[in-house]
Amino acid sequence: MSDPADRRDGATSLEIEVAGLRKTFGRREVLKGLSFSLERGGFLSIFGPNGAGKTTTLRVLATLLTAGAGTVRVAGHDVRDDPMPVRRTIGLISHNPMLYLDLTAHENLRFYADMYGVDDREARITELLERLELSHRRHDVVRTYSKGMRQRLAIARAILHRPRVLLLDEPHSGLDPRAVDILDGLLAEIRDEHTFVMVTHNIAKGLDWGTDLMIIEAGRIVYEHAAGVDHASFSAVYREHVHDGSVL
Amino acid sequence: MNGRRQFMAILRKDLIRELRTREMIISMILFVLLAMVIFHYAFSVKEDADLTYFTGGMLWVTFIFAMLLGLNRSFAQEKDERCLDGLLLCPVDRVTIFLAKTAGNLIFLLIIQVVAVPVFTLFFVSRSYVGDLPQFLVVLLLADLGICALGTLLATISMSTRSRDLLLPIIFLPLIVPVLIAATGATTLIFAEGAGFGDLLARVLFLLGFDAIFMVAAYGTYDFAIGE
Repeated sequence: MSDPADRRDGATSLEIEVAGLRKTFGRREVLKGLSFSLERGGFLSIFGPNGAGKTTTLRVLATLLTAGAGTVRVAGHDVRDDPMPVRRTIGLISHNPMLYLDLTAHENLRFYADMYGVDDREARITELLERLELSHRRHDVVRTYSKGMRQRLAIARAILHRPRVLLLDEPHSGLDPRAVDILDGLLAEIRDEHTFVMVTHNIAKGLDWGTDLMIIEAGRIVYEHAAGVDHASFSAVYREHVHDGSVL
Repeated sequence: MNGRRQFMAILRKDLIRELRTREMIISMILFVLLAMVIFHYAFSVKEDADLTYFTGGMLWVTFIFAMLLGLNRSFAQEKDERCLDGLLLCPVDRVTIFLAKTAGNLIFLLIIQVVAVPVFTLFFVSRSYVGDLPQFLVVLLLADLGICALGTLLATISMSTRSRDLLLPIIFLPLIVPVLIAATGATTLIFAEGAGFGDLLARVLFLLGFDAIFMVAAYGTYDFAIGE
């Protein structure tokens, strides 16, 4: 991972390019000029205390928030000027599953398949429900699902349209150990097919998966490094850079 | 991307959800029927009092207040379950979302009216207006479209505010007054005396103009309205 200015020659292999990203809510500046980039196939783990600006960064990448200043490009498209191709390129997995609780799993996936224009809709839904071990509950309303099952269905929703980039916002949050295993298994299965950006408090997971690591505090990048750091060293770095290092 | 397919997907999703939970329709039908009962007692000061010239007003005031209940619900589920993020992540033109939501609200309002208009006629309308039914249906559809288009746009704007339940009536009711005036005048004329299309032309054109203005306004502003 490096500053986009240093990487212009390799632009074709960059899936995500962020330069001078600023975002303000009211009078509060939440992002204060973030710049980073990520290679295609990379896995960026973003750490930081609550309120640091991690989720805001992810939501700007996802086109859900507009950048106040700076440029953000995903798969070569500017997220502000050209959001439609970006939306086709990304999938977002959040601790909030974004599923309609009064619809069945099949109805939810059918809805999103139609919204993304998935051509092989029924085959794709069947494939994903089988892959996520939800086939037997496909016609049950999501309200009756456990949190782990909802999260699995949320993964199906996010990868239904075969996105190149997956954005993960605290994907392990609130899951029981079994559900965490299932989620990790799924991520391992699709790891080679996607570029990932994961916001997490879970340092072990972030280090396991990440090819690139970043710590954000108070809207600024205070640390960035390629992977290969062990847990103890990274924890020390985290304490060094983040005022409230106790979140570790 | 196929806008028609996306339009149908949003509409189908909203209809399935509503038919399954009946949250909106049941509360709107109950509200409309109760309002009629209350009007019936509130206006029966004299046993043989002629209420004919109040009928249009009573009918449209009831529908507008009933629609307020529905409008609040129509985006609440998207917001409460954070599904709005999922919807906004999709590569869909925001105007398609507006059109689908407006169509959904229109269908719900028409369902309410299928139940409410015959009951209202039994309670309050003394003359048969079967011969004027085509005119009545045109007025009904145009007024409904105005109510739903404006209501959907304003419900979208207010849904992100903390006091959305209070804000929506405050911004919706003053802006819907032109529709209320035109629809009330036309409906009262139909119920009281009978009226041909010629008699209603000015009001029908006014309703058409109102619908067109708010459809165009939504087309130009919806991206902003549904965004941050």
